[in-house]
Amino acid sequence: MIMRFRKIPFWSWLWFGLGVVYFLVPLLATLEFSLSMERDKIGLLAYERAFEDKNFIETFTYSNLLALATILASIVLMVPTAYWIRLRLPEARRITEFITLLPFVVPAIILVFGLIRIYSSPLSVPFTEIEIFRPLTNTKIGTNILIVAGYMVLAMPYMYRSVDTGMRTVDVRTLTEAAQSLGANWFTIIVRVILPNIRAALLSGALLTFAIVVGEVILASFLGVDAFGPYLFLLGQHRAYEPAALTFVTFLLTWAAMGLIQLFTGGQGQAAGAH
Amino acid sequence: MAYLTLSNISKQFADSFAVEDFNLDIEKGEFVSFLGPSGCGKTTTLRMVAGFEIPTTGRITINGVDVTNNAPNQRNVGMIFQAYALFPNMTVAQNIGFGLRIRKEPESAVKERVQEMISLINLEKHADKYPYQLSGGQQQRVALARALANRPQVLLLDEPLSALDAKIRVSLRAEIRAIQKRLGITAIFVTHDQEEALSISDRIVVMYEGKVEQVGTPFEIYNFPKTQFVANFVGSLNNADAEIVDPSTGILAMDGVHLKTADAANRRKGDKVKISIRPERFSFAAEPMKDNVVDCTIENITFLGSVVRIQIAVGNTKFNMDTFNNPFLELPAIGAQERVMCSKEAVLVLGSGE
Repeated sequence: MIMRFRKIPFWSWLWFGLGVVYFLVPLLATLEFSLSMERDKIGLLAYERAFEDKNFIETFTYSNLLALATILASIVLMVPTAYWIRLRLPEARRITEFITLLPFVVPAIILVFGLIRIYSSPLSVPFTEIEIFRPLTNTKIGTNILIVAGYMVLAMPYMYRSVDTGMRTVDVRTLTEAAQSLGANWFTIIVRVILPNIRAALLSGALLTFAIVVGEVILASFLGVDAFGPYLFLLGQHRAYEPAALTFVTFLLTWAAMGLIQLFTGGQGQAAGAH
Repeated sequence: MAYLTLSNISKQFADSFAVEDFNLDIEKGEFVSFLGPSGCGKTTTLRMVAGFEIPTTGRITINGVDVTNNAPNQRNVGMIFQAYALFPNMTVAQNIGFGLRIRKEPESAVKERVQEMISLINLEKHADKYPYQLSGGQQQRVALARALANRPQVLLLDEPLSALDAKIRVSLRAEIRAIQKRLGITAIFVTHDQEEALSISDRIVVMYEGKVEQVGTPFEIYNFPKTQFVANFVGSLNNADAEIVDPSTGILAMDGVHLKTADAANRRKGDKVKISIRPERFSFAAEPMKDNVVDCTIENITFLGSVVRIQIAVGNTKFNMDTFNNPFLELPAIGAQERVMCSKEAVLVLGSGE
């Protein structure tokens, strides 16, 4: 009998193991550090202290609401855009992809300065004194609108790509025509035919958006809102153990989100495979 | 007035015409096929009836109403696609009920109609399955039921059988035809498969390069093709160059052999023409009763199941001759000298020769 030595899997495992160590060691160190707030004792005191803080609850809730608003607004903007480009404007595809990748190139600091520069003064009709908008940065609602818009830009590469990839897996054109011939209008087609068939893609885009928004610092601090990102940053300036605990919790949340993505996309992959 | 009329329809994309001056009247309950090679404009014409394309010029009326510029969702036209186009997120029953729910019909009426349609296509056991759990043939039957559930004015079928395997294709086309006849619905069927078109249609429109070549019953299209293209595209055909010798008696000369045709009335002596003869119109000359009896050499014999194809050489011209297979058939040897015959009606004069 001839023995076969499979060398490639060994190297694959080695690199995989190194990767795991590279990612896990800092995380374990953070966990270990967060558990050792009391001298010579492993305990959850840092977590208790962190969760007791009223500011934590407030900023975390606020960031979650911002994430939810960003996700909804992104879906409302991105789904019809990606749909229309796929259906009627394939030539606009390259330019749209370029635009959606810009947040990777242009730093968030530039974005926030741009937003402040434009929206901190009243918006008036060009060459006149007629005011259309009061400065958005002056009101709480205005600031919220600005920050959600900014987050939409930051999340755009993930959201647009997820949606576009989702649409690639279904025959958008034929499904649209089938629905049209059965009497459906555009709104019905998007809501009842397109959206349900890209829900796994939407979910993965949404969870990535969630992860970005909840931990975001720059936009939130420059626009002066009490979000979770700046809170964590400030906490880190004068506390040691609590930020480590919260960082670990945030990691767990992100992982839970990733698990959900796997769960949903895995299910759809199976269906598509059978199809 | 016809139920569905297409008058002077043209469709231009950039510089070229996909469809040019298309005219057709279809009666209520008629099954018409658009037949032609890819790019002949048959699908574009169908899509104009569906409303997915707007004609550059011309008018489309359904039941006396001008629908030329109506949106697809305002035409009440059922459409079946090659790729089935079932909604993957809906069960069979939900797919079939989709159009009825869009129209906001009462839920009890929707359920009743869905049940009726599911029985029509014999998929009672699969009502709660999702499309990916069905075979291709079953999916296409669901698509048919979905299109019919809305009681459309016209049923449009865009190569609905092309993605299916041969056996299913034949049984499903018979099923489609039976359902269409039972419901008396007007249907347009697009295909590039001549056998499909011949077997299923009341009338066939043969198209080529955006133009209608011939409109007729399957019998007319096959037996009396009006153009070289129709003759070649529908069925198999032998072609040869010939020269008119005597138009009054229909004598023409092909490669030194004189043949008689019934088709030389408008020609003049000396005209170079193309002649076409269907392979099954030849037979071995057991008795000298036909108009044309010619000597030939047997070149090759191919067994095709129900048919035996014999390649013969008449002078330098090679012809195929088809004869029905039977166990007692005595086939000539390859290289043997034989005589074959055909009637003068079998010799079609369709175009000008070189």
